[in-house]
Amino acid sequence: MEKELSITESYFVDDRVDGIDKVTGKATYAAEHKLPDMAYAVFVCSTITKGSIKNMLLSKARKAPGVLDIIYYGNCPVVPGHNPYAKDPNKKGYEWRGLKVFANNLVHSNGQPIAMVIADTLERAVHASSLVKAEYVQEVFDIDFEKLKQDDNKLIKLNEYKRGTADVYKSAAIHVEGEFTVPYETHNPMEMHATIAVWDGDDKLTVYDKTQGPKSTQSELAANFGLDPKNVRVIAEFIGGAFGSGLRSWPNVPAACIAARILKRPVKLVLTREQMFTIVGYRPYAWQKIGISASADGKLTGITHHAVSNTSRYENFSEGIVNASQFMYTCPNVNTSYKILPLDINTPTWMRGPGPATGCVALECALDELSYKLNIDPIELRLINHTETHPVSELPWSSKFLKECYQLGKEKIGWHNRPTVPGSLKENGMLAGYGMAVGVFGAGRGQASVKGLLKDNGTLVLQSAVSDMGPGTSTAMVKIGAGLMGLPENKVEFELGDSDLPPGPTQGGSGSTSAVGAAITDVCGELINILKELAIANAPSFAGLKPDAVAYDHGELYVIDDRAKRISFTDVMQLAKKPLIEVDKTSGRLSAEARKYAMNSFSVHFVKLHVNPVTGVIQLKHIVSTADAGKIIAYNPARSQMVGGAVGGVGMALTESTLIDPRYGRYINSNFADYHVPVHADIPEIDVLFADKPDLIINPMGSKGIGEIAIVGVAPAIANAIYNATGKRIRELPITADNLM
Amino acid sequence: MDKLPNESRRSFLKNSAALTALTFSPTVLIKAGAHDEKIASLFEKVPLQLSINGVTHKLTVEPRVTLLDLLREQLGLTGTKKGCDHGQCGACTVHVDGRGINSCLSLAIMNNGKKITTIEGLANGNNLHPMQEAFIKHDGFQCGYCTPGQIMSAVACVREGHANNKAEIREFMSGNICRCGAYPNIIDAITEVKNGGQSL
Amino acid sequence: MINFEYSKAKSAKDAMEARTKNPAAQFIAGGTNLVDLMKRGVTAPEQLIDITALPLKQISASANGITIGALALNSDVAENELVKTKFSLLAQALHAGASAQLRNMATVGGNIMQRTRCSYFYDMEMPCNKRTAGSGCGAAEGYNRMHAIFGASDSCIAVHPSDMCVALAALDATVHISGIKNERKISFTDFHRLPGNTPELDNHLQPGELINSIYIPNNHFNKNHYLKIRDRASYAFALVSVAVALEVKDQVIKSARLAMGGVAHKPWRLTEAEQFLAGKQITEKLFQEAAELSLQHAKTYQHNGFKIKLGKAAIFEALTNANT
Repeated sequence: MEKELSITESYFVDDRVDGIDKVTGKATYAAEHKLPDMAYAVFVCSTITKGSIKNMLLSKARKAPGVLDIIYYGNCPVVPGHNPYAKDPNKKGYEWRGLKVFANNLVHSNGQPIAMVIADTLERAVHASSLVKAEYVQEVFDIDFEKLKQDDNKLIKLNEYKRGTADVYKSAAIHVEGEFTVPYETHNPMEMHATIAVWDGDDKLTVYDKTQGPKSTQSELAANFGLDPKNVRVIAEFIGGAFGSGLRSWPNVPAACIAARILKRPVKLVLTREQMFTIVGYRPYAWQKIGISASADGKLTGITHHAVSNTSRYENFSEGIVNASQFMYTCPNVNTSYKILPLDINTPTWMRGPGPATGCVALECALDELSYKLNIDPIELRLINHTETHPVSELPWSSKFLKECYQLGKEKIGWHNRPTVPGSLKENGMLAGYGMAVGVFGAGRGQASVKGLLKDNGTLVLQSAVSDMGPGTSTAMVKIGAGLMGLPENKVEFELGDSDLPPGPTQGGSGSTSAVGAAITDVCGELINILKELAIANAPSFAGLKPDAVAYDHGELYVIDDRAKRISFTDVMQLAKKPLIEVDKTSGRLSAEARKYAMNSFSVHFVKLHVNPVTGVIQLKHIVSTADAGKIIAYNPARSQMVGGAVGGVGMALTESTLIDPRYGRYINSNFADYHVPVHADIPEIDVLFADKPDLIINPMGSKGIGEIAIVGVAPAIANAIYNATGKRIRELPITADNLM
Repeated sequence: MDKLPNESRRSFLKNSAALTALTFSPTVLIKAGAHDEKIASLFEKVPLQLSINGVTHKLTVEPRVTLLDLLREQLGLTGTKKGCDHGQCGACTVHVDGRGINSCLSLAIMNNGKKITTIEGLANGNNLHPMQEAFIKHDGFQCGYCTPGQIMSAVACVREGHANNKAEIREFMSGNICRCGAYPNIIDAITEVKNGGQSL
Repeated sequence: MINFEYSKAKSAKDAMEARTKNPAAQFIAGGTNLVDLMKRGVTAPEQLIDITALPLKQISASANGITIGALALNSDVAENELVKTKFSLLAQALHAGASAQLRNMATVGGNIMQRTRCSYFYDMEMPCNKRTAGSGCGAAEGYNRMHAIFGASDSCIAVHPSDMCVALAALDATVHISGIKNERKISFTDFHRLPGNTPELDNHLQPGELINSIYIPNNHFNKNHYLKIRDRASYAFALVSVAVALEVKDQVIKSARLAMGGVAHKPWRLTEAEQFLAGKQITEKLFQEAAELSLQHAKTYQHNGFKIKLGKAAIFEALTNANT
């Protein structure tokens, strides 16, 4: 049975199942649901960085035409989750994670929502919101990361790790040491966060929201408002990107619910682009110091990696910045430390490749630097220190095809053209350089439930309450279902984005395909079993057979020993008078057996670029991204994820940095003109190559995650190529022309 | 001078009897002076006629309503996207009299009498526009949010003769940001349509 | 955005009269900058006078030069055959600005009139003398990567963001202006002003006046190049930009025009370097010396010190590119 369930090998056309909706404008995103009598809410945000509000000046706004209400701490009803101690100070109930919007008059950060104007039209709400002013009591604030990053009085110590001896590099003959800065980066999905809330009475709530996890938003809202989760429905059919910003609910979600409840009508709250910088998280600012030593033969002798990243004053956010340094390479002596610095700023959150995207900048650039000291090719240096056993857990990897990735990328980029002496290659008057770096992210499998509905017209509907922020989850799931059932993909549909569907995981950490695909595998297995039993019981040519004697392909069952005896799924169901077969399956987390392995996806990124020797202007010429992401389920979307990650990495390396004026705590570039995400003209040809080897320990499809490794390692590959082209080692991102003149 | 707004607005204001019937903010309206005029002007709508995707719309709008918000919030044409609202991302690109513009920076009233084409008007019934087909074929999107704007610009790119090589396409298309990073696929889609030689 | 009265002018006279009658009115054409500023609350006109129906879109050649109507779209000018062939510097500069969509909306007059992109000017909560007289200059001791290195004052270090204007300054253009009483001309380099103590004033246009057209005299510049250096490859404002027009014969510069963008409150003509270059044989050293000379009076701030080196590099590169 198990053996039969393998996905059809040949790639079918990988057009996205939601492609037509997306190219015709029919795809409906959170803010686009049309509800009768909708009111528009707009946030008013704090203009100071820390303190409290003495007085809200609302009269002008209240008098503005069309204003239905203005909600702020002074009149906001008590939300159970915002005030868990209200009823009994000793008994702690559910507490909303993060900023409790309008719960009190405190200002924790600049750009924090302090009031919400609701009006009958968008224009009126926007204008009235500009009339709301606050009088504040200001307090001294900490916002300057650079100034405080080594102030031990301000830092919170988190993890320390050591194996062997600490700081070995310091006394080693061959070593490198460097400090790296990755600035604040803002997710900036193209769709701004938006919520529409509708109440049916006082205890039933429907929310259209930009969330990566309909189920998690449902449970957060149910707990926050003291509702039965069954009475909270979260719809997130299409997500206009998120990259992590939709992994949790931000203040706009409860705020829209509060407004809709007070007004007893649907309320739509859409953030502005500016508010996207101050309300829905960002990649934390990080300072790192790394030291690496090696013996003359290239074997690493010591890695020391310290990192500090920021958090807010009201939540401790941390991510695995130094982890890759612990396990990517064989090295007897490794010590790492990680601290966080609370600032008077909103809370950061996971942004694509959280942890390693930052950490690998230091690790992979330092290794590159070391390769020049050793006079060993950077790929060779990594191969010398390659390990098949996870150095921290000492477990073997469930699969690791990193060596294949080096080889694939090396050939594609033309690595043999790379100059060994930096700054020595010129092409058309430009300094040319090549660089590479490795990316890594955890792989695994979460829990997911899927309902399968097989109809006697031969169609299969699969349902799970996950969301698809762009990677093509629906497409991959249809492909898995179609492949497993031997059905054409146009007969299989995947329904998602609705918390009423069977619980699925939050889309994040590159885990959707693994978890949901595993559940689909179980569903399909069960459907086939049922079909076989029905055939044996109802179809004369199958009578008396054991299920093992029956196999299937192309939507038909057949007798293994007599392939001429066939019956279609449709006919089986009609014979059995079963118009519908319904199967619910929950696929669990990893088994105890599987946990005997370390699990990661890997990538190796290669970059070729030009630097103008006079002006320092960088022009990328070619990117090759290779990945060991297990078996590739849906090629086009998988490839596109890698391409998109590379583009994100270009942003990290060359253009992106969210700037805050330390005097005021206000944002300097909270818009798309000044916060530079890469545009078409920044991006060269990008080739993607997959090792495409199944990892059947993780899940029955053999897939591992792609979304994170797509970006992890891209920025250091670019920085390394810049060094190769110019001989300039820039350790502070983004690297701009003025660094290279 | 064409007085598109209510011809008698100023006198209407002076004879504020009519205004007092509006109960929003009598205290403010009693006051004289410029601020009252502003408040009053909030009530004012102007007539507007647009042809959108071949359909004539006779509307009245506040002068401050942008073409983008008119499409999305009043006409339910949500295929045109708001990504920044400041002309910095291209998600709101529509064609006005055949040329791509940022609808977020265009006051609806200033398009009076013009022909607007949005993403909803690109396909011919169930037959996708060649650019839409090429975007699907080359996976020129992920989340799909910037896609309508990308496609509208892509059509303009080919139509206006700026698709002669990849560098030229990249430069022309740089006003359309894609955060998912589908850029190379979009360039491939445009190149294919250009090479296909269809008249767009 | 606060609502406003909208009216569409049928004639220039109409427009100017309406504007004169209501000091709180503003003209609107492309709106790409004005609507943005209104959305931010930086400006809140009581009345918008739509001037797009005025007959000012023509691009026409005369014996001595070219006249470009103030309402000609940036994209139309950039694609105009005459402009492309005889004033390619202008076409290049236009193509370097904004995006295809914005160029389809923005007019030549509006491009000239656009306001600075200084973040402190745009953020209503931060000090800015240009926006709110007497509130201080947030940029002087703030984040000033984009800011001026020439001609700034204690009250304002903002830069003019246009690319087109840099080319027009280099090409000795003239701004033709209509007023209710009379018409007048201003040399393009005199149109914009330095901030001094009145940074709220960007230029010398008087209230009620309307830009009619731009006139560019014919020239003999056979080497033209516009170089823009920015923080991404396209769709970004200049860190520095350089417009170069050279008349070269047998590798000798007969005359030169140079202007910089992204460095001052106005397009910055480099007259000293122009004089230095005139009559000299082209060498690498000559271009380097011209670049040195151009930046000698620059004054930088905390975050834009690089502009001196980058400015020199850009001038050298632009001269070199022009000559190849």
